[in-house]
Amino acid sequence: MGKINTVLGPIATEQLGVTALHEHIGFGLPGCDLDTKWWEARPKMLEVTINKLRRFRELGGRTIVDCTGIGTGRDISYWQVVSRVTGVNIVPMTGFVSGDTVLPYFRDKSIEYLADLFYHEITVGIEGTNVKAGAIKAGVSRGGLSELDERVYRAAARAARAAGVPILTHLSIDADRQMDLIEMEGLSLDRIVIGHSDGKEGLDPERDFRIAERGAYVGYDTIGFDTEKGTPEVPAPFWARPKGERLDQVMNLFNAGYANRAIISCDANCFALGWASTEHSVAELLENFIPDLKDRGVSDETVKMLLVDTPASFLTMQDPQPNLVEAAKKATAQV
Amino acid sequence: MADHLKDNVVQTVLGPISADELGVVLPQVQILSIIPGAEFAPEIEMDQQKQYDALKVALIEYKRLGGQTIVDNGGMFKGRNVQLYRTLSKETGVHIIASTGLGPGTMVGSYFTTQQTEPPGPMPLDRLAEMFANEITKGTVIPRRERTGPAGLICTAANKDGITEFEKHLYRGSAQAALQTGAAVSIQAGKDPVYELDILEKEGLDVSRVIVGGLDSLDADERGDALTIARRGAIVALDHAGWTPNRGYVSNDRRAQLVLELFKEGLGDRVIISSNAVGYAVGHEASQIGFDHVLTSFVPMFREAGATEEQVKQLLEVNPQRILSLEGEKGLFKPEVEGVDITWVK
Repeated sequence: MGKINTVLGPIATEQLGVTALHEHIGFGLPGCDLDTKWWEARPKMLEVTINKLRRFRELGGRTIVDCTGIGTGRDISYWQVVSRVTGVNIVPMTGFVSGDTVLPYFRDKSIEYLADLFYHEITVGIEGTNVKAGAIKAGVSRGGLSELDERVYRAAARAARAAGVPILTHLSIDADRQMDLIEMEGLSLDRIVIGHSDGKEGLDPERDFRIAERGAYVGYDTIGFDTEKGTPEVPAPFWARPKGERLDQVMNLFNAGYANRAIISCDANCFALGWASTEHSVAELLENFIPDLKDRGVSDETVKMLLVDTPASFLTMQDPQPNLVEAAKKATAQV
Repeated sequence: MADHLKDNVVQTVLGPISADELGVVLPQVQILSIIPGAEFAPEIEMDQQKQYDALKVALIEYKRLGGQTIVDNGGMFKGRNVQLYRTLSKETGVHIIASTGLGPGTMVGSYFTTQQTEPPGPMPLDRLAEMFANEITKGTVIPRRERTGPAGLICTAANKDGITEFEKHLYRGSAQAALQTGAAVSIQAGKDPVYELDILEKEGLDVSRVIVGGLDSLDADERGDALTIARRGAIVALDHAGWTPNRGYVSNDRRAQLVLELFKEGLGDRVIISSNAVGYAVGHEASQIGFDHVLTSFVPMFREAGATEEQVKQLLEVNPQRILSLEGEKGLFKPEVEGVDITWVK
């Protein structure tokens, strides 16, 4: 029993099925829409997107969480079409990918304002629609956790507590500080995935153990960004890893008994909006990565935990405590 | 070049026209001004009908006062809506010139400042220039769908605390696009207008093709920037008519004197006047100064201070018409299908 918000309305926890927790229909940095270099005919974009999600479904996939925050390509009406056509549940997010993707209007806003904004998108709707967010995005700017990033984390934690949704982050850089911020705001660390722990950007496999030991989730969620996929035309992005190296990193944590503190996903764009992605699809999670895990001896039970049980318990909305946003505001006013 | 166009072509949102058709021009204003991102905030009302109605009333009043042309200097990322401007222009008969360009840095999305490269960096200079130039020759972009009417000039701005490295990059890209198209560059100067003009000149741009805005600030007046900039050959924009010392700008009396001083020095062909008015603001407070202010308040004061009718005409018509004219034909708007309003991209 439980509720999860999707672009086609709330669904029951039991309806989630096999879930990829960190994906994108299409991500692009704010402003990329103005550069015709990235424009593609909408029918073509839709076709590519549908094909990838159909393949994901054929392999047993059922739900993706779209981790595109405010202003970076989130497009609710388009996603509704994609969800209807493919049958894949799409959980939309509020929040921001990272401070450096926050648009000018929001850059100077207070923690209270941002918490209200996220809470509004979870409980009332996103961008004038009645589609409600199912999770909150926060993240680390290029160059490390910034003051604005910290405001977004604190606001995300407040809104998460008040509305009962979890948080997923962009990057594991400054992970300890990320977790400190979440705890400072009174949110339990089992409500956050520290994302992209398997990416080259700021890679630190020792850190995975600290994240797991503190009770947060380690995000092995750039699966398929393999250096081997680079071509002269489209080089692998700077966060790509050799495929085997990523697998070693994941297995080290699993073999230490922490598979229950990890999540797996691809961070694939069905159709990238403002950058050139190597070939990539959420379907690779089921097509390649799960077989790789099994080859390394990971059991069917663990696979089910990774694909179904952990996402279900993580995404299920917890008892909302709306008074917390008000209480935090009052506390701040008194200081 | 099309037959009906002689020399001195100016690009309005409805296409190129002869500069002498512009009549009285109000440069250096913003028609629609939206802080980027405001469209995603639940407390912000995005209502094009309200925008349209308010702007139509303002433009009709401006026209009634004798105004014929208005120039939006907001660039491509602060709420510009060229489709709306085209409708407004058709309905009111006021010529509207839109701009391409980006800035100041605080008003720019991270696609332009922090690209997904290692290390992160801004959009490369040549791509920036190409993007601006294309908005002049191929038409302004409507995101991910089409190009519509062309931009007529390139606008950028520097931080008031001093130009940043990224803004220097924008200035250079703007200068390069100007060289490629023959369009003018308009800057809203930060702390050091002379230095900012140097940046553009170093790219090879003739400073007579540059409008330097904000030269009626108290600081600029104290430094004597208007004379310095005009002597260098650039266009001085005293573009905060109606703003007061309380808000950091000289009074209209002083502004009128400044114009007359420039005329006295023989630099009367290098000054334009504006109010930096915002027609419709979304997500921020704007001055309550309207498109009417220059004609209803400044010009009478200017006459009273001793200006001749010839000087008024120079200020409101001759100078802006010249600076807004494309240099040569290389920047002339060429829609992909002649005579068709829509240019689908993909």
